[in-house]
Amino acid sequence: MSIEIKNVEKSFGRFKALKNISLDIAGGELVALLGPSGCGKTTLLRIIAGLEAPDAGSILFHGEDATHRHVRDRQVGFVFQHYALFRHMTVFENVAFGLRVRPRRKRPPESVVRQKVHDLLNLVQLDWLAERYPDQLSGGQRQRIALARALAVEPQVLLLDEPFGALDAKVRKDLRRWLRRLHDELHVTSVFVTHDQEEALEVADRVVVLNEGRIEQIGAPHEVYDHPATPFVYQFLGDVNLFHGRVHDGHARIGETEVELAGGPDHPGSAVFYVRPHEIEILRDRGTGTIAAKISDIRPLGATVRIELERTDGRGLVEVELTRDRFANKGFLHGESVYLQPKRLRTFDHNSTLENTIGSGQFIAS
Amino acid sequence: MLKRHSVLPGFSITLGFTLTYLSLIVLIPLSATFLKSATLGWDGFWAVVTAPRVLASYKLTFGAALTGATINAVFGLLVAWILVRYDFFGKKLVDALVDLPFALPTAVAGIALATIYSSKGWIGLFFAPLGIKIAHTPLGIVVALTFIGLPFVVRTVQPVLEAFDTELEEAAASLGANRSQTFRKVILPTLLPAILTGFALAFARAVGEYGSVIFIAGNIPMVSEITPLLIVTKLEQYDYAGATALAVSMLVVSFGLLLAINGLQRWTEMRRA
Repeated sequence: MSIEIKNVEKSFGRFKALKNISLDIAGGELVALLGPSGCGKTTLLRIIAGLEAPDAGSILFHGEDATHRHVRDRQVGFVFQHYALFRHMTVFENVAFGLRVRPRRKRPPESVVRQKVHDLLNLVQLDWLAERYPDQLSGGQRQRIALARALAVEPQVLLLDEPFGALDAKVRKDLRRWLRRLHDELHVTSVFVTHDQEEALEVADRVVVLNEGRIEQIGAPHEVYDHPATPFVYQFLGDVNLFHGRVHDGHARIGETEVELAGGPDHPGSAVFYVRPHEIEILRDRGTGTIAAKISDIRPLGATVRIELERTDGRGLVEVELTRDRFANKGFLHGESVYLQPKRLRTFDHNSTLENTIGSGQFIAS
Repeated sequence: MLKRHSVLPGFSITLGFTLTYLSLIVLIPLSATFLKSATLGWDGFWAVVTAPRVLASYKLTFGAALTGATINAVFGLLVAWILVRYDFFGKKLVDALVDLPFALPTAVAGIALATIYSSKGWIGLFFAPLGIKIAHTPLGIVVALTFIGLPFVVRTVQPVLEAFDTELEEAAASLGANRSQTFRKVILPTLLPAILTGFALAFARAVGEYGSVIFIAGNIPMVSEITPLLIVTKLEQYDYAGATALAVSMLVVSFGLLLAINGLQRWTEMRRA
């Protein structure tokens, strides 16, 4: 079932949680609402569920206005960050809850309930826990039970509020892959909230990046990562180095260094250039378009090595990420003087969606 | 007892202190009553505790105490619900009001209730034309016992309700449950152990209540005479052994009932672990 969100506004007292949000979600899609805490992502999810009412705007389910429909009539499955399982009921009764509270004439007979609950428990691979109580389960198991419980009512829409937020890193990774596979199997329209960009990029078909109650960008994971629309999206989706400089006559000027901005538009004036740690080359000889720096820290992090450098012109720290192999080949040492060569410099011009890329010399309007 | 290593120190000291303390405050005085009543001999004891006037007083005392505690369980839950769930003008005041029955000397409460609920009193006035007499009847005793037991259920349920995660209600609603189903199947089972604790406390307090009841009860033998009053009457007649015999019979019944309530409470809590 498709969901349309039209011009939704929501305030809590004087705090504006959502500012004119519009968003279309196609049937069967898996969408991530991504943003820092307090950006309004959970509020938006709760408005879709009907747990919160918008101050203005409307929510359409399958083209029908559902803004004023009560949560129990919306046919949404909601999965909470802290599971919200009923502690006094067994796992079986938790999953059966949605079937047992149906109006008498729509309530399925006991045999059907039994069959359905066991099918769902098999789906989440926890049938063997049916007679346990929630307090006897691990976090990952509880969240899978919560999901089975939400699916029992055959929801048209599945909404997940930071579903893996309370779990440790390893379980989190397993569960999000499992969720992706489950979605490919069931194809129920799903929206999940997360503040973890890796989770959003890995699981979702489309990512909606929110900040301070506004949508910053909507796009497929590779789109938002490769072509961020705003500085916020760029910074939120990964580590970033900032270089302050000027654009002048088609050149980027950073400190004493002048870099050609091939093919880019000429916006004279001061600018901020954004570079990801893995998009910087470290050279031993000056070359062209380089910035002098001194290695101040070297930290191996599994597959990559993170090197921290101090610019010799005293304008701050730069972080560079190299693969293990590359680092081993070069053999950089602590305290060594080197030259940094940014491979992709991005500028954002007053919240515009223009982007300059050095090297490939492209100009992309997204 | 096995000695186990624990990061919490002082097990033997604290247990020793607890046992000594409980002996001095509870066990020794209570065993003294048992010993004194034993002077009657079994037959004498049995004759005292099963006299018709005494049997009628048991029925009244325990019946009224159970009724009062039940009323408190229902309305105490309601009061706690309102205090936790809603914000309204004067909430703090209402919250403080709940504890007043604890602070007031029970005799004062008894006299006030007797005056107001008598057939010419402010409230009794409205019941009198309907043929309902409150003061000087067992009904009056229930009113007094409800009054003194009010804080227990409110104060035991309140913190549990405050800690209750509203996400559970939202989860129930999203699964299609209506308000009454959510209350019956999700909220009530969570509150039940606390309600039972409050009920047990209110009941125990009501069984032993003397001061407030004697003023409103009218104390008519076989009709509105409570067991604690019979004990005092026997004491006034210097029948110490008879008085302790009644005390012992009350203790045994109360202990049995409290044990049963505790067991029930244990059972409701066990189901979630």
